[in-house]
Amino acid sequence: MSESYIIEMRNITKRFPGIVANSDVTIRIKKGEIFAILGENGAGKSTLMSMLFGMIEPDSGEIFVRGNKVAITSPNEAVKLDIGMVHQHFKLIENYTVTENIILGIEPIKRLLGVFPVVDTKTTSKKILELSKKYGLEVDPSSKIENLKVYARQRVEILKMLYREAEILIFDEPTAVLTPQEIEYLLDIIRKLQEGGKTIILITHKLEEIKKVADRCAILNRGKLISVLDVASTSTNQMANLMVGRELSLEINKPEAHFGKTVLEVNNLTIRNSERFKVVNDVSFKVREGEIFAIAGVSGNGQVEVADAIAGLSEHVKGEIKFLGENISGIKVRKRNEKGISYIPEDRQQVGLILDFSLAENLVLKKYFKQPFCNGALIDRREFSSYAKRLIEEYDIRVAGGENALTRSMSGGNQQKAIIAREIDIDGSLMIFVQPTRGLDVGAIMSIREKIIEERNKGKAILLISLELDEVLSCADTIGVMYNGEMQKIAPAHEMTEGEVGEYMMGVKKNEKK
Amino acid sequence: MKKSKNPLIRILGNKKWQFITIPVFAFLCSIIAITLIILLIGKNPGVAFHSLLQGSGILPKPKYAAHKGIITDFLEMLDMLTPMIFAALAVAVAFRAGLFNIGVSGQMLAAGFLTTITIGYSSLNAGLAKPLCLIMGAAVGALAGCLIGFLKYKFNINEVVSSIMLNYIFQYIISYFINTRYVDPVSRQSRDVSATARLTLQNVSAGDYKMKLPICIIIAVFAAVFVWFFFKKTRQGYEFHAVGRNVTASKYAGIKVGKTIVLAMTFSGALAGLSGVTYYMGYFSSIQPNTLASTGFDSIAVSLLGNSHPIGILASSFLITVLSKGSTYMSSTAGVRYEVASLIIGMILLFSACGAYIRNTVDRYTKEKGAENGNNNN
Repeated sequence: MSESYIIEMRNITKRFPGIVANSDVTIRIKKGEIFAILGENGAGKSTLMSMLFGMIEPDSGEIFVRGNKVAITSPNEAVKLDIGMVHQHFKLIENYTVTENIILGIEPIKRLLGVFPVVDTKTTSKKILELSKKYGLEVDPSSKIENLKVYARQRVEILKMLYREAEILIFDEPTAVLTPQEIEYLLDIIRKLQEGGKTIILITHKLEEIKKVADRCAILNRGKLISVLDVASTSTNQMANLMVGRELSLEINKPEAHFGKTVLEVNNLTIRNSERFKVVNDVSFKVREGEIFAIAGVSGNGQVEVADAIAGLSEHVKGEIKFLGENISGIKVRKRNEKGISYIPEDRQQVGLILDFSLAENLVLKKYFKQPFCNGALIDRREFSSYAKRLIEEYDIRVAGGENALTRSMSGGNQQKAIIAREIDIDGSLMIFVQPTRGLDVGAIMSIREKIIEERNKGKAILLISLELDEVLSCADTIGVMYNGEMQKIAPAHEMTEGEVGEYMMGVKKNEKK
Repeated sequence: MKKSKNPLIRILGNKKWQFITIPVFAFLCSIIAITLIILLIGKNPGVAFHSLLQGSGILPKPKYAAHKGIITDFLEMLDMLTPMIFAALAVAVAFRAGLFNIGVSGQMLAAGFLTTITIGYSSLNAGLAKPLCLIMGAAVGALAGCLIGFLKYKFNINEVVSSIMLNYIFQYIISYFINTRYVDPVSRQSRDVSATARLTLQNVSAGDYKMKLPICIIIAVFAAVFVWFFFKKTRQGYEFHAVGRNVTASKYAGIKVGKTIVLAMTFSGALAGLSGVTYYMGYFSSIQPNTLASTGFDSIAVSLLGNSHPIGILASSFLITVLSKGSTYMSSTAGVRYEVASLIIGMILLFSACGAYIRNTVDRYTKEKGAENGNNNN
């Protein structure tokens, strides 16, 4: 029966330190179909496909290609098996031409005067033109990558695979970087590829795309395969529910909210990323004292950018950010900290902490320049230590070696606790939490959520940005849902059901603009 | 931490002392390798090492010329050591902030040249000229470093590229000026600086000896202590370290990354400038046109050998200088070619560059137990 499947991945399990990225996942892909892999961020989609493309190897499980068991140990092996992957982050050489990029590694050699070997770009350019016409991938083979727009670069990546005669094409979140029109083109291209006999694997978390092109769809949640569906006979709502998944709800004791005056007011916030692409579009909301305002949304819909902008870490920000009635749009990060904005960033290891610093040095990261830690130009490390000892005690940060331990050596949960301790101790009036419990175990998750609610009970304004719906639902007083850089809906938490939030998150239900 | 059966692993695995045990282990490995090489070329390694140490004034030679002795040899070695310490500190300071100052040589040359033509050729008295030399040297070096930092901050030009470029620019512009204006027709170098400005006292008589007195070695040692203090105890030092280890987190913490980069390069340049004046106006008294001091490049390796730690740098500078200073004597007495000294230095650096690898290997052996500890902490 293996004959009918071009790819089979059986009982694949892959563990990374601290998490199981894929647990006993089995998928079978038919020749010539468009097979989508759907799941939230961190569900294990990319891990699964990286194993098929040989970038990492599974801990256990088997992979069959065209019915033969294979061990794919490197991308080169995968290419030999006619598997190609279009990565989310393109792997192109900027100052080479399209042709040069495509033939890199398999340069066709012709002999000048029958002796001197030269790279034959002329015939390859022709071949590339043919390929691009066939599949509607218009791109000029002689232009340099640096002069190409993002969508064109993606086409080059696709051509690269086609040139290597890949039969199985893996697309890793191909639409994340594209505008809506470009997405339409891409989906057309994908259809054409299918007509041309290729097998397509599409990694995505966007339901509408799957609905438009895919034949079948596997849904992953937290590393486990939830189900494999026929796209035509399944509604987007059903898919959304399966993707978000239902886990045992963690009950949290949350007293009634008492809102005070407005702490944070964001008006018409628009943010562009470094490629000048609008990632946040005209977003407005308010957070009051004693309120947890949670922004729900699937990863990459502009939520993190909103948080960065409020903390003062983004460029290209338009609109107004008012903190306690004062417009803070123009002022520096440190000033904002000093005014009382705490920020627990999404990436705790790269942004929130300096891993090569000791715990004490990290705990004073936002205070080291103030009394009593700093007198004039000198810092007082004894003060660092005694302060760190207090926070370790108070916030139950568990670390072997105490305040002088290297932060890198701490567990993820305790690293996060350290950040939260530092930020709570700033004792400002606004706290921004981004994905505060990602990757943590249940115990740590509970204690962090309790801390968040405790701070809110003290009258702080809390902006909670989370990709996990159950976190949003169990903590929020007010929910805002972002999709595609826009705030779809803002409503009190008790007025929204889980299903509704999910639908807004997936862009299924559109905002009735006020 | 698991107590390994292997005593070597146990010693090297101790995190607290790794900063010293690993370099020492690497050094011992290199000595073994060098011994093998000297044996291979058919010489006696014992004699070679012995004469190396004799040449640099650590061990007594069998006989000395008039007015010479072990003390004069040792002082000459210190004279050579002074610019090396400054240069290696310059590398370490930049490195602390995550920057790679490969342009120490160029900064040395610029500082040495400008100080030579202004103060070195002036008729100021010694009490004024010598301190001015140091100040001027530091200032010129600081300006050159500041330029590199500014280019990085403002235009995102990689400091490695800009400092290599500046090396060439300084080298050729300065050799043009030396050749056209300041050349000594006999030596084909720049004219000697005045004795009053010279930072190493010449022909100081003490007893029967006539010796060179490298007074700036004291300042160099003081500079190392200051850098240590700066890293450890100052707010700016904390910011250098933060930026060097994680730029994103530094921005998040509100540290002005651009300013820190410029400051770090300025500080580094100032130390390179001090190295320049003690080299061109102390160890030497003139500048050879069209050449960059190899000290500036060696200092990178010396700094790494010293683990970029100011006190470690004192030790590694000493070690490397002893080896290069003693090499002339070694080639004449032990019949081991002069170049072997470079080979030895190269070998030491090679092994010390493997320090991270040694550390990783040791950590792997001690890891399993460590991971268990980590889990218990959750």
